Amino acid sequence: MTMLENLAAGFELVANWESVFALAGGVLIGVIAGAIPGLSATMAVALTLPFTFTMQPITGILLLLGVYKGGIFGGSIPAILIKTPGTPASSATILDGHPMVKNGQAGKALGMALWASCTADLISNLALILFAGWLAAFALSFGPPEFFTLILFSLTIIAGVSGDNLLKGILSAILGLVLATIGLDLVYGTSRFTLGDPNLMGGLNFIAVLIGLFAIPEILSMVWNPKSIEAKTQSLGKEWVTLAEYKRCFKTIVRGSFIGVFLGSIPGIGAAPSAFLSYSEARRKSPNKENFGKGEIEGVAASESGNNGVAGATLIPLLALGIPGDVITAVIIGAFMVHNLQPGPMMFLNSPDIIYGLFMGLIISSVFLFLIGSVAIRAFRYVADIPRGILFPCIMVLCVYGCYAVNNNIFDVGVMFAMGWLGYIMLRKGIPAAPFLIAFILGPLLEDNFRQAMLMSGGSPEVLVRGPITWFFWALTVVTLVAIIRSGMKKRKVEMISHRNQE
Amino acid sequence: MLKNSDFVTGLVTLMLSLFLYFVAIPFGVTSPSNVNNIVLSPVFWPQVLSALLGLTGIGLMFSARNAVKDDVTEFVATEGSYKRIALLAILMIAYIAAIPKLGLVWTSMIAFVALAVLIKSAHPITAVITGIIIPLVLYLFFAHVAGMAIPQGDFVRLP
Repeated sequence: MTMLENLAAGFELVANWESVFALAGGVLIGVIAGAIPGLSATMAVALTLPFTFTMQPITGILLLLGVYKGGIFGGSIPAILIKTPGTPASSATILDGHPMVKNGQAGKALGMALWASCTADLISNLALILFAGWLAAFALSFGPPEFFTLILFSLTIIAGVSGDNLLKGILSAILGLVLATIGLDLVYGTSRFTLGDPNLMGGLNFIAVLIGLFAIPEILSMVWNPKSIEAKTQSLGKEWVTLAEYKRCFKTIVRGSFIGVFLGSIPGIGAAPSAFLSYSEARRKSPNKENFGKGEIEGVAASESGNNGVAGATLIPLLALGIPGDVITAVIIGAFMVHNLQPGPMMFLNSPDIIYGLFMGLIISSVFLFLIGSVAIRAFRYVADIPRGILFPCIMVLCVYGCYAVNNNIFDVGVMFAMGWLGYIMLRKGIPAAPFLIAFILGPLLEDNFRQAMLMSGGSPEVLVRGPITWFFWALTVVTLVAIIRSGMKKRKVEMISHRNQE
Repeated sequence: MLKNSDFVTGLVTLMLSLFLYFVAIPFGVTSPSNVNNIVLSPVFWPQVLSALLGLTGIGLMFSARNAVKDDVTEFVATEGSYKRIALLAILMIAYIAAIPKLGLVWTSMIAFVALAVLIKSAHPITAVITGIIIPLVLYLFFAHVAGMAIPQGDFVRLP
């Protein structure tokens, strides 16, 4: 099929009210969830996932993508208004957003956040459309050894950059890989850690694991300290962003978008580092650099374009290689799996209509983000006022219904609660949850490709370094490890010096 | 040496690794007798992971010995934190246990209100009303829109 035929087939899938409503509804849910301190975009996507089971694949996936994009923008609303980022990606927005609120320019800061977010989102979506197909075509030549080294590299970088400590990231990823071994063996069909229970034969349910890991720990944290999230909402003020200000910040927004696209397309890095890098680059190059941190509108534009620039780009490794770019796309992969779709290079050959439908839906989502975001800015006060004592019981009930709905199995609800406690312990011990989930998803793929490679070579490990692609991924893995270890050692050195000075 | 919580995390990780290698894998993983290459055996992958887990545990213990500060954020306990968290554990177990008897909808209503009480909701009446409405709305969606079988329990059945 030519690209035009694929576009036409994709358009046919998206050009119906069901898809348009799903996209608009998704953006609305995402903005509301992102705007509520204590909820995250990840949790919102996870809780929406069970509602997509009965939808058409494209409709369900568009709904989740809408939640994702809305959630990333929504997080900036409380970051600016109450100095509490709705999502970690919005942390950089606080730096200039909140000082603007103190100067009575809340409406202006939120307006710029919205305009920068929509522009970056559009650029990121275009990058996805341009690069995903090209990367997928390249990945068609990958065999099991190439996929094994690619997944190993992805897990290394995810484990390395997800938290403050490389070893804890690795621990999290290994725990995810161990948990993924539960079930029947991929080659021989013998049982592994099933304890004779038929519920465990198919392995732990992915949805139960992800809801447990990302929603239940928040409930446990709330129960541990019910008054931990309290802040005062500020008024919007009377000043709104102007076209002249948008034009002045346009270069920064485009730069931030490209930083987001670049970092987003590398699995594991995510939106928060991108926002901070975009912010620091904007400050370095701005003629108003001394105003940064005191309420500079360009600072808001930089951080918001940085974090939203990631949103489309994280789908590049997901769609082209089948590797989730961050934890939210790891959740979205669940929607593909529920509908028996396997993201990756073969999907471009087998289901190009869905791929191109998604591309079109994503472009439309930028428009919805602008429209819904404009209303959300004004309505935030009502969202922020939802009492926590009502919100968290709602989340628990939603989790139970959503988890039960996957297989109509109470056992899955038990798995979800157990994972919630594990996630809470990990949270308290500073062990990041993202490598755990991504390793849990990629675990069977990693092992399967490893064993297939071994079968191909008759057990010789030489097959894992058989050509330039495997060398490339091994080299990237080693470089990543060295870079992360060096940065950890540097950090420790600084800590030791400051500790000695204190003594 | 500074007391660092990573040391305990490392120690627990190492113990988990030893448990996996010497107990869980030999007794929990079935390997066919005709596998002539260890690399292809169903036990190989879990063994590699348990070895890596052990190494990570040792690494964490070693790095904790040289740490100058504890990088784990402390979760400040407020009055009754331990009691509430224990009660939530009981609530979760009771939630699962009661679903087959009472049905998902009624159990969810009770669990909703119980959690609202546990976190001392400032809006008790709203909590009760929402606690009735949310499980019912979810039941309507999953049972009548999505066509899923929601457990009804032995007592009051919903249409």
